Amino acid sequence: MNSPELLIRYWAYMPQLLAGAITTLYLSATGVACGFFAGVFIYTLHASRNVVLSGFARAYVSFFRGTPMLAQLLLFYYLPTALGLDLPSTLSAAIALTLNTAAYQSQILGTGFNAIPLGQIEAAFAFNLTRRQTLWRVEVPQVIRLTLPALVSEMIDIVKASAVISVIAVTDLMRVSQQLASVTYRPLEVYTLGACFYLAITTLLSVAGRTLEHRYAGRS
Amino acid sequence: MGIDAFLTLAPRFGAALSVTLGISVAAAFAGIVLGFVLNVLRMTFPALLKWPYRLYVWIVRGTPFLAQLVLVYFGLPGLGLTMSAVQATIFSLAIYSVAYFAEIFRASWASVPIGHLEAAHSMGIPRHLTFLKIEMPQAFAFGIPLLANQLILLIKESAVASIITVPELTMTASDIVASTYSYIGPYAMLVLSYWLLTQVVGLAARRATTLVTRHQRA
Repeated sequence: MNSPELLIRYWAYMPQLLAGAITTLYLSATGVACGFFAGVFIYTLHASRNVVLSGFARAYVSFFRGTPMLAQLLLFYYLPTALGLDLPSTLSAAIALTLNTAAYQSQILGTGFNAIPLGQIEAAFAFNLTRRQTLWRVEVPQVIRLTLPALVSEMIDIVKASAVISVIAVTDLMRVSQQLASVTYRPLEVYTLGACFYLAITTLLSVAGRTLEHRYAGRS
Repeated sequence: MGIDAFLTLAPRFGAALSVTLGISVAAAFAGIVLGFVLNVLRMTFPALLKWPYRLYVWIVRGTPFLAQLVLVYFGLPGLGLTMSAVQATIFSLAIYSVAYFAEIFRASWASVPIGHLEAAHSMGIPRHLTFLKIEMPQAFAFGIPLLANQLILLIKESAVASIITVPELTMTASDIVASTYSYIGPYAMLVLSYWLLTQVVGLAARRATTLVTRHQRA
């Protein structure tokens, strides 16, 4: 393997790998963002005094944290088909990622919510804010700051977990690597480059997270 | 989806479960032993090993396990190292888990207050005895929950091996679905199997944690 030739080949792989990386990032970001709101919702169910609702939340979290991402993905890809719905694979992947991260985020955000002083909630009620207003205007902004490291960690986990969506033919970074490897018959260099892309993404996320933490810490 | 369908599927799932468990336990065993050794080496030769260790952990924890697995299974033959799917999975999962276990051990050892080490040193207790009698018990009390959690994560990660056709749980379920065109039964059994597995390991983990932290409670 000649070094300049290798670099020339790597340069040729770049456009497709970049497109795959963008798909990966896009689906992961969508999953985490939607999962955030779903996670808040699951937390409210979990903290509810209604036994049915909190039981459902507990079962939900137990299911999504106790089973592999791949199994969940296959479930949400094939079940709609069995029920007659025809979902595009990208949508199935996004749904699976969202539901999965919602379970983890509900736990992460839960620790954050519990750390908010009860006095603030009482004050909010004293000022006649509704439960919903208290949640979204008082608690949620604080909970992000409180749990930022864990949230960034979860984001990185979702980017890594998203690699399995290649199985249902979504052209993410992993899928593009596999396609390139089968076309060029050079799996070692293609997969190495693909792995480097993932490493770059997770490292950037990690650095961005640390920067955000420092900025938040400086302000408070 | 009747009871007879369940009974026909059960043996195949049983075999698949043993493959999943076998792979996960083998990789976890290698991971714990080698991770422990790696941590000790890192503590013994800090100048030499600090940066290689951090590089290794950064790469292994920064990339998806699937990416590492396909690299090992499809890429290494290019360097002359060919392995069967199961061997590649155990090998790759072991490399993956060593990084995580080494980090857990690193955190566990860091949790021991340095005052204990200083006190032991000032009392003339030899280094190896400090390690065995003072550091290790405290480190393990801290680390057992983390180690058990990592084992659960490993079991879940092993599902990825289905992509390179290792006959574990996910692969078997997909196989059954492909041959019988019934989706709900096999996939329901699949998630149930994993869920039961993780719950059992979680329960054992909680028992083990209670056992090792006995000395901290009244």
